[in-house]
Amino acid sequence: MNTPVVSMDVRHVGGGVAVVDITGDVTATCEQPLMAAYEEASTGGTNRLVLNFTGLEYMNSTGIGMLVTLLVRANRQKQQLSAYGLTEHYRQIFELTRLDEAISIFDDESSALGHAGAS
Amino acid sequence: MRNTRRGLLRRRRPELDAATVASAPVPLVVPDLDIAPNDPLLPVFQEASGPVDISALDLDSPALEQMREAGVMLVVPLVASGELIGLLNLGPRLSERGYSSDDRQLLGRLAGYAAPAMRVGQLVREQQSQARTRERIDQELKVAQLIQQQFLPKAVPDLPSWHVAAFYRPARTIGGDFYDFITLPDGRVMIVVGDVTDKGVPAALVMASTHALLRSNAVRLLAPGQLLATVNDLLCDDIPAHMFVTCLVLVLDPATGNVVFANAGHNLPYLRTSDGVIELRATGMPLGLMPGMKYDENTAVLQPGECLLLHSDGLAEAHNSDREMFGFPRLADIVSQPRSGEQLIDACMAELADFTAADAEQEDDITLVTLERLASAVYADAVPSDAGPAGSDLPTASVTSASADECLLGQFAVASVAGNERVALEQVADAVRDQGLSHDQLERLKTAVAEATMNAIEHGNANRAELDVDIKVFRLADAVAVTITDDGGAPSVDPPMADPDLDKKLAGEQTPRGWGLFLIKHMVDAMDVSTDGAKHTVRLTIHVESTPIPLGKEAGDDEQV
Repeated sequence: MNTPVVSMDVRHVGGGVAVVDITGDVTATCEQPLMAAYEEASTGGTNRLVLNFTGLEYMNSTGIGMLVTLLVRANRQKQQLSAYGLTEHYRQIFELTRLDEAISIFDDESSALGHAGAS
Repeated sequence: MRNTRRGLLRRRRPELDAATVASAPVPLVVPDLDIAPNDPLLPVFQEASGPVDISALDLDSPALEQMREAGVMLVVPLVASGELIGLLNLGPRLSERGYSSDDRQLLGRLAGYAAPAMRVGQLVREQQSQARTRERIDQELKVAQLIQQQFLPKAVPDLPSWHVAAFYRPARTIGGDFYDFITLPDGRVMIVVGDVTDKGVPAALVMASTHALLRSNAVRLLAPGQLLATVNDLLCDDIPAHMFVTCLVLVLDPATGNVVFANAGHNLPYLRTSDGVIELRATGMPLGLMPGMKYDENTAVLQPGECLLLHSDGLAEAHNSDREMFGFPRLADIVSQPRSGEQLIDACMAELADFTAADAEQEDDITLVTLERLASAVYADAVPSDAGPAGSDLPTASVTSASADECLLGQFAVASVAGNERVALEQVADAVRDQGLSHDQLERLKTAVAEATMNAIEHGNANRAELDVDIKVFRLADAVAVTITDDGGAPSVDPPMADPDLDKKLAGEQTPRGWGLFLIKHMVDAMDVSTDGAKHTVRLTIHVESTPIPLGKEAGDDEQV
């Protein structure tokens, strides 16, 4: 249980937008991969980051804490964060923690990219 | 009389005259001198007002004889606080003249200074030796206490429809009381109480080996009489001659209330029935006295509402300042009152406190174990403690088990290693699969269980892999409850923390973390925290709207998603 059970793949989709495909668990063990993915996604003048949670299996409070850290860093770089692919349960948690006010939530990639491209 | 009546000065005092000293002084050697307590010489020294001229004495005294032979001329008694504490023995002057009155005066003054100083020295030495003895005894007590505590159960068994409570209070000198709960392979529970004669480290060691023998043989033998006979034979080989162990073994079938018990000379348990208090009798010799003993095995049935008390000597044989004994009738009388197990224990200790003086030192260890079959109406304090930490002042853990109308769906433990909360989450999900939780409720419960387990691993058990987090899943009439228990039971832990606020976190006014408790609270319908001094338990409850499925799983268990 101590090896990271998460992968974070970064796709630069053009227009200053990068998608991070998150697969597995967002917990304490994914701090390094998440921050590495953030560095990678931020190269080349990226100003919008889209987190793809379609492959998310489990996220705990530590994981939420890391998203807050990510949000702080993105805010500092004037980057926008959005997300899609969350299950109903994790949408509720985003609402409960008010993360949904700082990270725009979309149903799927195309609407997330549409938004990311439009604004 | 002090026993130091020895010649204190074995060389004669050199003259102040340097020339004389230079003329090769011959050392005077006085052999170690023991003066018998009835020697007539003693009163002479005791009452002398100054140096005593030995040649002038006419006494029938062996000591005087010895002194003369050794060449002692003058004796200066050292007296402090009216007590003779030593003698200064002088031989002839080097100048071969007699001792002048000046000499005598000087010696008298010297004795006046020397005696109290010597007395102080003696007292200091005595005190130091007493302190060393005390320190050694304290050290031994600590060791005995450690051994003893090592073997006392950390929790009482958790049996649906039963309520078990235990109380143990060691005497200052630590007797050899012990008790134990052993779950047998057939689902019955063995309850053991025992008492080793003697106190301190030897008793603690015998207790430890008795405990080990009982434990290792219980699972194999199952029958209490046979267990006692076997342990007796094994113990007889090793136990010190003057020691023995009284021990009561009782096996409870929680499903039926049947108990089978055998007794090796221990106090008889009291059972409160609707017809009054009865003793559970079974005969047998204490363990460790002689091999080949047989132990009677008797049975009883505990009906709903009945309560059994197992007790050690420390209570019934306590004395008050008039040397009256607390006594068994008084104890039986306390048992006869309708009370829950904890209330019974409290009542026993309160009566004892009334009986003995408030500041009286407890003579012997006190061990009380109660076993209560819950009636349909449970006692207020027997309901699992969702009212927060119990207000009990008992110095030992008295742990509450599940109440009657709960059904245990599952129970398991995970080691305190980060990541194991996922194991807990899956197991809980599995246990509640047929309980009619909606998909959303199940997800919420899983998140809450994972967060509470994380807290237990990280904070309660400080990530110590050897400690378990215990998890139990219960079905209630209209809810599902999960308890998560860790060893962080010390005065609790949860400081009133502000709810996490995203704006403050983004502004750097709060740490990005700290979402756990907040999440748990919002995931479930109730979160209750209780602590008993050793264990810390979080209880999560989710109400189930749909009709509860009757106890006993239905055949098709894959219809629920």
